[in-house]
Amino acid sequence: MANVTFDNITFRYGNNTVLEHFSLDVESGTIVCLVGPSGCGKTTLVRALLGLIKPETGSITVGDRVLFDAKKRINVPAEKRNIGIVFQDYAVWPHMTVLENVSYPLKKQRRPKEEIRQRAMHALEQVHMTEYANHLPNQLSGGQQQRVAIARALVVDSDVLVMDEPITNLDAKLREEMLLEIRMIQKRLNATILYITHDQQSALQLCDKMAIMQQNGTLCQYGSDEEIILHPANRFTFEFIGVSNFIPVVKEPNGMMLDCGDRIPYAGEVPAEAAQGGYELGVRPNDIVFDNTSPLKARVDSRVFLGSEYNYFLSVGQKQIRVQQSMLDARTKGIANEGETVGIRFLNARFYPARKGAETA
Amino acid sequence: MKKYYGSVSADLAAVDGRKRLNMDKIMTVLCFVLLMIIVVIPIVMIIYNAFFNEGKLEVEMFVQQVTEKKNLDAMKNTLVIALLTTILGTIMGVFYAWLLGRSDIPAKGLMRALFNIPYMFPPFLGAMAWDMMFNGRSGYINKWLVQLFGLKSMPININSVWGIVFVEVSYYFPFVFMQVVSALERMDPTLEESARISGARQRQVIWKITLPLVKPAISAGALLILTTSLAHFGVPAILGYAKRIYTLPTRIYAVIYNSGGSFDGIRQGAALSVMLVVVVSAALILQNRILAAGSYDIIKGKSMRPTLIKLRGAKLPLFLLAILTLVLIVIVPLVMIVLISFLKAYGLPLELKNFTLDQYKAVFSMGGTIDSIRNSLFVSITAGIICMFLGTLVAYVVQKIKPKGKGALEVISMLPYAIPGTVLSIGVILAWSGRIAGINLYNTIWIILVAYLARYLSFSMKTSSAALLQVHSSLEEASRVCGASHTESLADITLPLIRPAMVSGFFLIFLPAMREVTTSILLYGPHTRTLGVQIYTLRDAGMIPQAAALATVAIGIIIILNTIVTKLTRDRKGV
Repeated sequence: MANVTFDNITFRYGNNTVLEHFSLDVESGTIVCLVGPSGCGKTTLVRALLGLIKPETGSITVGDRVLFDAKKRINVPAEKRNIGIVFQDYAVWPHMTVLENVSYPLKKQRRPKEEIRQRAMHALEQVHMTEYANHLPNQLSGGQQQRVAIARALVVDSDVLVMDEPITNLDAKLREEMLLEIRMIQKRLNATILYITHDQQSALQLCDKMAIMQQNGTLCQYGSDEEIILHPANRFTFEFIGVSNFIPVVKEPNGMMLDCGDRIPYAGEVPAEAAQGGYELGVRPNDIVFDNTSPLKARVDSRVFLGSEYNYFLSVGQKQIRVQQSMLDARTKGIANEGETVGIRFLNARFYPARKGAETA
Repeated sequence: MKKYYGSVSADLAAVDGRKRLNMDKIMTVLCFVLLMIIVVIPIVMIIYNAFFNEGKLEVEMFVQQVTEKKNLDAMKNTLVIALLTTILGTIMGVFYAWLLGRSDIPAKGLMRALFNIPYMFPPFLGAMAWDMMFNGRSGYINKWLVQLFGLKSMPININSVWGIVFVEVSYYFPFVFMQVVSALERMDPTLEESARISGARQRQVIWKITLPLVKPAISAGALLILTTSLAHFGVPAILGYAKRIYTLPTRIYAVIYNSGGSFDGIRQGAALSVMLVVVVSAALILQNRILAAGSYDIIKGKSMRPTLIKLRGAKLPLFLLAILTLVLIVIVPLVMIVLISFLKAYGLPLELKNFTLDQYKAVFSMGGTIDSIRNSLFVSITAGIICMFLGTLVAYVVQKIKPKGKGALEVISMLPYAIPGTVLSIGVILAWSGRIAGINLYNTIWIILVAYLARYLSFSMKTSSAALLQVHSSLEEASRVCGASHTESLADITLPLIRPAMVSGFFLIFLPAMREVTTSILLYGPHTRTLGVQIYTLRDAGMIPQAAALATVAIGIIIILNTIVTKLTRDRKGV
């Protein structure tokens, strides 16, 4: 297994820039989740790695092997890159049986027949699909087809495994199972896995590290999941991972104010640059606690019980914000009722420049 | 920023690098060259020769042709016949589609199969049969009616515009019928049910909900009738000639035939061709307008069980009407042709003592007959195979390689679809009788083959194109990543996946080419008659029973081939 390095990759479709000066280093033997909104260039990056498209600039290296280098004019064709892929739509060939599908990469390596059979069956074993070896893909469910695709990617000792949204089409329970399965496979093979998704939940569950991509095709933040959740590098990461509330802040002669239709004084600390105006306060729903001693008051609009937490909508002035109360908190401090006025406190407020023209709630 | 490559394309073509001539480029160039030879050159030759003579612009001939009364009459007839055929054929198609698709009329499966027969039956043979029955001078049924009722003149004259319309309608209404029946079957039944629940009566539901929803299917079928009828040669040729009722296609044939195939005649034909193409293009544009105005996405791909409407008291009469229609348009002409084929001489009463097998012997002892069957088989199979591969090649280039100018490629390959067979023949004559690079194919079988290629290429391109759209590009990409070269992934993945479509594309060409007459009637030479031409010329020479005998054989061949094809395509469904 090997590490993967993207260096200064730029790619355009006509005038539409998909990736711009994109660099990322995926360490050997880790699962890295590439997370970003739809259309941010995740799939384009993968296709560049696979050799299905040719970037304009930069280089791609796997281990010590240069797969692509624009300056040196190196472009290893797709079939010689030795990368395993599970496509978003599985891409299981409908005219071949499960076994034929999984054997195909070995056949292209011109391995002896006996070895092909053995290794293909072994790969099917890993994904618990041996009994379906002679089925055609149209006789399989979506989850099973997906496992065939994974087996096909596993069957050769690829340097890197790429999975492009491999589980979005599965039901919740199967999704959970597959995530565990992928983790197990990675441990067993000590594989380097690049896992593409827009679903942060499965990313959090699976990854060693997360790479957050922004709409304009640049890397926003790269780090462990804790780092990304607890120390978001910018507003985009903060907003993209998890739920967030935003309230504009303005400076008035008698101190900082929250602009919620009405101006409401804000007692907390505000960094100097945010005090100059044009900034918003961002806070996660689970970082807001009820505290009747707080001068900041809000009215409870609604409350929903979600099993492991309570979900509230509160009105602060004209502004509606979302609050999550954990069961522990609810047990110890009690719950707030609809129509009540409560005091609230922001535990972990951040300040970001306001986005132009965007409605933030 | 520095740019390292002139252009970045985002498809598999880019993957092979730009170091040498790769397969994609070869395929693209090949496509353009072949389409240029097969399609563009003949069309250019028509336009050139209609307006130029010996390298000089000369519009007089064109103006004179276009303003000549005979030709204007022919144009009027063409339009009248096409419009009437379209209107009546559409009404008939929609009515029977609704009856078989939505009502509880009995014996549906059998009737649907029978209603598709006119579709595979060559219309000019039907015209022959109707001419035998209702010819204004000598029709058998006409004579019988005169005897029976002591009439003074023949009661029905099929050699008229209305006669032509009648025969065309009976062979072209399946275009609408088939489109609408499948649309009706795929329509979500809840759309009608909710109308009923909202308080609409059965009749209102049909008029306000069902019909508007299948309108796109109706107009698609109607267009097919319109363009086919505008370009149609066989029926007006057989029924109209005797009374000098010409349409543009038959007029073009007459002009060339009368001039003995001289260059001037062909040039006049080219001028008339331009006229015909203008009319057909106008029809296509009109249709585009209409279709664009109303498109619905309510008809779903998956099949649902529509609610059937109970006909109650009307069930028996409507059933009888459907049966009667089938008998009239399918069985009666067939029986008539078979009966006449056994007659000792045309005109004798249809009695057992006048029956003989001599006509069959005579037809097959004639040199041309076996040749014509062999010729037809040869050109149909060859055209089918070449078009199958060429159509797939064009479809692959357009759908997957997507080079610059793919739009042009697509338009060129679909162009002959809008160009009448007669016109295409003239283009082929102008192009390949020695005027270009000294290549002279005139009077050889190859000129017919070239014309068939142009005429039928769009058929196979359409089916292959539809199949390729179903093959998601990730399937080919997956095989590349698994270690297959571009050529290998084509051979291992793409081709096997579209093979069924390629095969059905072949039959889609082979079957109509077997009974083709419009194109080959202008192209045949002494030794290169096709089956259709042989029947037509036998009849033209007055050997009607022999023509009928050969027609019977032709119908037999068509039925056998169709049965084989249906069997074959059914077996392949699983893939």
